[in-house]
Amino acid sequence: MPDAARRVHNLQRVVSAPAAAARGILAARRITKRFPGVLALDRVDLDVAPGEIHAILGQNGAGKTTLMNILFGLVQPDDGALYLGGRQVSFRSPHDALAQGIGMVHQTRRLVSAHTVLENIVLGHPRVRGFLDLRGARSDVQALGTRYGFTVDLGARVWQLPEGERQGVEILKALYRGARILILDEPTSALTPPEVKTLLAGLGALVRDQGVTVLLVTHKLPIVMAASHRVTVLRGGRVAARLRTAEATEEILVKHMVGRDITFRTPERAAAGSPMIQVEHLTAHNDKGQLALRGVSFSLREKEILGIAGVTGNGQDELAQVLAGLRPAVSGRVRFDGRNVTRLSPLERWRMGIGYVPAERAEVASIAAFSLVENTALTYHFDPAFARRGLLDDSGLKGLTRRILTDYNIKAPHEYARAQHLSGGNLQKLILGRVLSRKPRLLIAHLPTQGLDVEATAFVRSALLDAKAAGAAVLLISEDLDEILSLSDWVAPIYEGRFGAVLPREEADAELIGAMMAGLGHREDGER
Amino acid sequence: MRLGRHELTLEPRQALPPGYTVLIAAGAIVVALALSSFLFVSADASVLGAYRSIFAYAFLNPLGLTATLQRAIYLLFCTFAFLVPLRAGLWNIGLPGQVFAGALAAFAVPFALRGGDTQASFASGGLIILMVVAAAAAGAAVGGFAGVLRARFQVNEILVTMMLNSIMFWLVAYMIKEGGPFMSPTGEGESFALPPGLRAPLWRGIPFTALLVVAAAVLLDLLFAKTALGYRIRALGENPAAARYGGIIPVMLSLIVFVLGGAFAGVAGYHAFTAIPGVYKIAGNYGFYGDLAFYGLISALIARGSALGAVPIAVLFAGLSLGARFAQGALHLPFGVDYALLGLLMMTFVGSHVLYTFRFALRRTTAEVLRPVAPELPEA
Repeated sequence: MPDAARRVHNLQRVVSAPAAAARGILAARRITKRFPGVLALDRVDLDVAPGEIHAILGQNGAGKTTLMNILFGLVQPDDGALYLGGRQVSFRSPHDALAQGIGMVHQTRRLVSAHTVLENIVLGHPRVRGFLDLRGARSDVQALGTRYGFTVDLGARVWQLPEGERQGVEILKALYRGARILILDEPTSALTPPEVKTLLAGLGALVRDQGVTVLLVTHKLPIVMAASHRVTVLRGGRVAARLRTAEATEEILVKHMVGRDITFRTPERAAAGSPMIQVEHLTAHNDKGQLALRGVSFSLREKEILGIAGVTGNGQDELAQVLAGLRPAVSGRVRFDGRNVTRLSPLERWRMGIGYVPAERAEVASIAAFSLVENTALTYHFDPAFARRGLLDDSGLKGLTRRILTDYNIKAPHEYARAQHLSGGNLQKLILGRVLSRKPRLLIAHLPTQGLDVEATAFVRSALLDAKAAGAAVLLISEDLDEILSLSDWVAPIYEGRFGAVLPREEADAELIGAMMAGLGHREDGER
Repeated sequence: MRLGRHELTLEPRQALPPGYTVLIAAGAIVVALALSSFLFVSADASVLGAYRSIFAYAFLNPLGLTATLQRAIYLLFCTFAFLVPLRAGLWNIGLPGQVFAGALAAFAVPFALRGGDTQASFASGGLIILMVVAAAAAGAAVGGFAGVLRARFQVNEILVTMMLNSIMFWLVAYMIKEGGPFMSPTGEGESFALPPGLRAPLWRGIPFTALLVVAAAVLLDLLFAKTALGYRIRALGENPAAARYGGIIPVMLSLIVFVLGGAFAGVAGYHAFTAIPGVYKIAGNYGFYGDLAFYGLISALIARGSALGAVPIAVLFAGLSLGARFAQGALHLPFGVDYALLGLLMMTFVGSHVLYTFRFALRRTTAEVLRPVAPELPEA
């Protein structure tokens, strides 16, 4: 691998210059970037030392991704400069950044799922022109993987791999392109807890043993605390703080990140009302036709939250979709407000007052190319109050959208902006606001705070509690055990399509639930 | 791309400035015409003369203008036939088949009523309306067939409609050729001629279908902008998963859009074979109209789903195809100049679409526009 080796060699020579070592391998000075109507970055300085894991922490919209895109040459700054090993560089495209040894692993995977791991790694490599020397590449990649401690089956097709391994493929791909500085954008957002552990261990080894430098973009405090050496906190496009992680605490970081103290609300146990939903021995297939939901039973009264805790892929998707009418039940029964609703369509369920907030915000819960008003209409186009004689009431929908934007503190240019321009947190608040504006009597919230920043998370949780207070029965499906324990009246750990138990909150302690999520103490057909 | 001290870049566009769509389209036309001058030069014809000949025939000559409008009406019905399913994310490639079905149904009305007497005379506006309705219904039935297969059984609509095209093509051949029921008395491989009383009423050479097509354009744009049905169709087209989540039922909508699209194609068939003066029969070269139908597909794509937006595009396609064919004969240009011109136009239109989502920006290169930066890293 002469190219990569030479690049690494060059880079090491540059880095080993004494002045450069003192000043950091990668630096940014006074980086400013404006987008229409937004100052995304405002005179941002950044110093990354060689061989460290440097965390970039900030809420959604703090400018993290823009900054990383500038470092990777995807976006050009309006002002300021980048320095590599003390010398000014400018990247006009990712190609330039890659040539200088900077690699990026994006938040969403950029792999061809029908291709093998090896083909994906080789794809786009400058050495591949016309002819593929897969055999030569295989041994190179294998050697690289062994050296860096990443073992992936190079012959496997990408679609067969779990998310954690796909990410490993992208890291390996960046290293194969000769990257010595790795930018990882929210690398843990789609991973299960064990995968996160593996990833962080792998990054630690890369940095410690191979001298690779890692820039870790995240809004997750525990990740920063566990993995990074130093942290730069961004807030509203500015650097709010630069700290050594060892000298920081989660509380300090939150303060810099949000600019004030955040308190999470805890639920008040109200007098429970009448039963709203009863689920009996419900089973369902997943998309591959396997039985993924294997007999779930529970009942829930109004003004109660049932927290379903589990690692993704244990039947939560199927449960939520069956309850929303988007997936047929194989057997079992769902009664809502005393009525058998097992076979009702999603439309009938919306009309009856069942509200669903799916985990897939951008793919299922919203339409990217539609305006915010049109997205509001997604759960109102059938409502006589907003669709009279076949015509949509545009001004009514606009007013409703405006109310949601204000009530939920959503940052959007105007009601007719496209949903795709909203950040993840703002989009989620819009979806939640739209669903709650229908005043549902049953709310199914699937991973409602996944990928959200601290402030949006607190807001969404508070909205769930408000819905409960207003009389709804709430089904909260989450991977975040703390979230489940802090909000729920009942807790049901789910494992391989079954509930381990349905426990009142008082009896559910973290260790017990955590063990049940992992399949321990698994009882047949948890019933309450 | 670097240009001296400046740099030309493509940047994502957040919102389209008003009037830009028209400007971009006009630019695409100019570029296509400029490129086509190579065609004329290579044929040793005067470039300006060729343009003058094309445009003068298509838009200034009364005869040519009438023909242009006749063809534009046909293309527009075909455009709508493709556009409606397209908004739901479905591709109606069955335009020719639905056009043929419409034509056959239109001719079936007099055939059935006069019981085989080909020269019986009619004079009834009611029958003309019946013919239009029959054509629309037949097109809708053929389109709906694909729609049902798509909706109920997830059969790919592109394959089904393409195969239906072939079936309908040969069905027409059976009906009009060699002893077929609709064969002309003289047996020239074309259908019997429409009795004068059943020919579409004209106003200055333009049939009443012009009114239908304009009304359809307005109603379609209103459908998609204002109605719940239009909203549901668009939602399904943009994101089927989200549409299902929002309680939209894809099965019903797939059927509706194909029935509606097929009906438009059926009316296109009515227009082409019973409303254009000088035709009034299913001619032996009816396959030409089938091929022409696909320009409707192109104009729907170029108009980006806007029915009224497709009107100027269809008129342009119609005019240029006729004008270029005329110029080909008048100036002895090589065969196929008309198709080459349309092809160029298509390419520049499609190419110009990048400007809807991106914009070119000419910026002074970083080093020039910014405050001078230190070549060595300054302290933070």
